[in-house]
Amino acid sequence: MLRVEGLSCGYGAVRAASDVTFAVPERSILALLGPNGAGKTSTIMAIMGHVDVHAGRVLFDGEDVTRRRAVERARLGVALVPEGRQIFADLSVDENLTIGGYSFPADRDRDKRERVFALFPRLHERRAQLAGSMSGGEQQMLAIGRALMAEPRLLLVDELSLGLMPKMVDICIDALLKLREDGMAIVLVEQNTARALAIADEVCVLSSGNVVFAGTAHDAREDRELLTRFLGMTERRRA
Amino acid sequence: MFYVDLAISGIVFGCMYALMAVGLTLVYGMLRILHIAHAAVFALGAYVTVLVANASGSILIGFIAALIATPLCGVAIYRLLYQPLLHYRPDVPMIASIGLLVLMQDGFRILFGEQGVTFLKNPLAIETVDIAGITLNLAQIAVLIVTIIIFLALHLFTTQTRIGVAWRATVSNPRIAASFGVDAIRVRYLNFAIGSALAGVAGGLIALLNNFVDPTIGYVVSYKALAIIVLGGLGSVRGTLIASLFLGVIESYGTIFIGSYLNRDAIAFLALILILMARPQGFTGARTA
Ligand SMILES: Nc1ncnc2c1ncn2[C@@H]1O[C@H](COP(=O)(O)OP(=O)(O)O)[C@@H](O)[C@H]1O
Ligand SMILES: [Mg+2]
Repeated sequence: MLRVEGLSCGYGAVRAASDVTFAVPERSILALLGPNGAGKTSTIMAIMGHVDVHAGRVLFDGEDVTRRRAVERARLGVALVPEGRQIFADLSVDENLTIGGYSFPADRDRDKRERVFALFPRLHERRAQLAGSMSGGEQQMLAIGRALMAEPRLLLVDELSLGLMPKMVDICIDALLKLREDGMAIVLVEQNTARALAIADEVCVLSSGNVVFAGTAHDAREDRELLTRFLGMTERRRA
Repeated sequence: MFYVDLAISGIVFGCMYALMAVGLTLVYGMLRILHIAHAAVFALGAYVTVLVANASGSILIGFIAALIATPLCGVAIYRLLYQPLLHYRPDVPMIASIGLLVLMQDGFRILFGEQGVTFLKNPLAIETVDIAGITLNLAQIAVLIVTIIIFLALHLFTTQTRIGVAWRATVSNPRIAASFGVDAIRVRYLNFAIGSALAGVAGGLIALLNNFVDPTIGYVVSYKALAIIVLGGLGSVRGTLIASLFLGVIESYGTIFIGSYLNRDAIAFLALILILMARPQGFTGARTA
């Protein structure tokens, strides 16, 4: 579904990530991990089309989209749950969902909206409310719901659990598992390494913009040096 | 009834300011540019309305012509002037904008003369009606009705249509809106087209009220509009509407009480200075479209 080949990206002359390579087949989750400033958000935003690509390629369904604008990638089925949620605060919940489905015919909105509400009943209760007035967890549900309106085949999720109450984290993780079952390819950036490793199929670890591990989640869980050096996990927290 | 008359004439002026200032606040909300040349679009609307009305014999046709000319002009200003300058500091496009205003005002002077133009026939400015003891001329009534219709339409457009919601989403977060397929460039064109059309209508209406258009028509209004959008909380349509009506009414009462010392415009600026000293964040302090 998604292939990233030797991707280097950044901001003008500033390099944020170098030579990143990974693939995410459908019906799978790739966890993109690493400490703060490692280049995870930059990589995600380069896949979406918002950060300059200095070298390498982004392939979607075998098609090279490296030079396509974000607007066009959205139409191909790439959807973003951005870092810090970034819901449209001045818009209502319903209006946020409308924008989610903006690339697709309006007559499909209704069914998709029903599906989002089935996944997150809380959003249904709040549908007329201004998005900016909701709690962080509700905003994250909305950010996911908005992305689902975009009929994604590839979902890019940046910092799923950051600042959320544990119950909300469970709800959001369950939602991702359901979406994977439905066949979606998911790239997940997550601070909670244990949670991410528990649900991921593949793992890519960045540090200072370089890939320090790429492999299966199973191998990552067994790699002590990786866990302690780059992922800030101690033996005890693993157990 | 005298004070009611005053309030109403103040509201009529406030409507003009609102129609003019909304375009400015929309551009600021989206691009963070102070679109000074908006005053020239307003002047263009006034000229086109008068000249086409005189040529065709119909004021309505004059307004329709202004509604075609001003959006085209606004979109051209965005495309040819601002878009190439967007990646510079915001004062660069602002200075370019001031330059364009001076150029266009001089253009009007050269093309249509220093002394200005008037309607050959303007029955609306002369005929009056009495409503509950208040005397209004038809031009004033036209201003009130047109403004109400325009703001209602704008409200419905931005809340009830997909493209209108996309517009607000782009103001709120252009990058994320683009991630969902909202083309920011198209939305900017729309923004300039609508803002300019409103300024064009305002220009036509002020020509109708004063029965007179001269090359400097844009200047004073543009200073006031700049102060109004600050007062309205930059980027907020509702705040701009409130600030405009407020200023119009203050001006009207001011002319009665201190009108022998200061003229209408001086009163407006005095009021704006005092209000902005007290509330530099504006009335609302929030940015909502
Ligand atoms: N807008 C920006 N302009 C310049 N440098 C940036 C910008 N955003 C991030 N960076 C830099 O890029 C690097 C990677 O950042 P980021 O991708 O946000 O990392 P992560 O998401 O892994 O925390 C950091 O060194 C950061 O300072
Ligand atoms: Mg990040």
